[in-house]
Amino acid sequence: MTVATTSGQSGSALERTGGGGSGTLADVVETVLDKGVVIDAQVSVAVVGIQLLEINARIVIASVETYLRFAEAVDRLSIVPKDTKTLPDIVGDTAKGAAKGKAVSGLGKAAEEISGAVADSLRDRDSDRPRQRRSRQEER
Amino acid sequence: MAEENGLFIYGIVPADVEPTPDAEGVGNPPAEVTAIRHGELAALVSEVGLEEPMGRPADLTAYERLLDGTAEIAPVLPVRFGTVVTGADAVEDLLAAHQERFAAALAELEDRIQYTVHGRFDEQEFISGFLADNDAAAGLAEQIRGRSEAASREQRIRLGEMISQAVELRREAENRALVDAVGRYAVADAARQPSHELDAVNVAFLVGVDDEEKFIGAVEEFAEQRRELIRTRLIGPLAPYDFISAHQLVE
Repeated sequence: MTVATTSGQSGSALERTGGGGSGTLADVVETVLDKGVVIDAQVSVAVVGIQLLEINARIVIASVETYLRFAEAVDRLSIVPKDTKTLPDIVGDTAKGAAKGKAVSGLGKAAEEISGAVADSLRDRDSDRPRQRRSRQEER
Repeated sequence: MAEENGLFIYGIVPADVEPTPDAEGVGNPPAEVTAIRHGELAALVSEVGLEEPMGRPADLTAYERLLDGTAEIAPVLPVRFGTVVTGADAVEDLLAAHQERFAAALAELEDRIQYTVHGRFDEQEFISGFLADNDAAAGLAEQIRGRSEAASREQRIRLGEMISQAVELRREAENRALVDAVGRYAVADAARQPSHELDAVNVAFLVGVDDEEKFIGAVEEFAEQRRELIRTRLIGPLAPYDFISAHQLVE
């Protein structure tokens, strides 16, 4: 059974996502993977989904890359109007784009073995919020 | 074609649970879900070809849909995604061998359901708050603003690390605050690993059906109090994925 995907009265600070796999694929992966009763090896033929599991485990590791990304966020807080960008700003932006591209392709590579949709949804985690709702519909 | 088949196990339920005919399992096209019974227990299973690729997004979704749907009407012990056994005999052996443990676990889960509360910090909001409260960090911020990454790399790393540590500290505090605020309406809670560097809270709660409304109300209040800082989501009702404790695992 499927409960309403994202509901809640407008204005509510709490976003509701029903169960039943109605959330984004990233939600589903996070909810079910690596959970549940493990059956002993004698009767079990196979446990699949191991590649998925590895991806899930490597998502949050603080690193220099994370630190630099936070520092970029500080840059974005700057109240200098956009049209007065100095050359260093522009250089910084380019470096930012490059670093981002690298991170995404790193994850994409790990996800290659499984379906592209999983990789997409994992990338979605890092993208802007409003997109999540749309990508959920696209998966249907 | 001599393709071998196995049985994909979704979960373990009381013997009186009957899958509805429209219940769809994993595979393409989706397999029919049936129950294999032994004594007081049953396992929800469907046939899969052993050569078939498993773990497609649709398979994960089908697995969760079946278990969450079941959990709304009966207690269910999820079996780890992707578990496939040789046939009906193997399923019965499994149920027979662990009858007592499974039955006791199911009794504990009667009329209880999981909700997961997952929140993420608003990056801009968090960082502005942090810089406002921390002179050393604000000083570093001044040093990097308007300078390229190459020219201010050391300061950037130092500042980023301070922010990262502040996120971790705040995350611990918010997780505690969440359990303090809503835990009284839950039977149990289980911390979940952060799945994003800006994760603010991530906790699973096992909630009795009678307390569901009060629990949701308390989570709404928690979210309301942090509206600007944390985007809070409530996911569920779910099968009790995070409450299958180690002693219930079959060695």
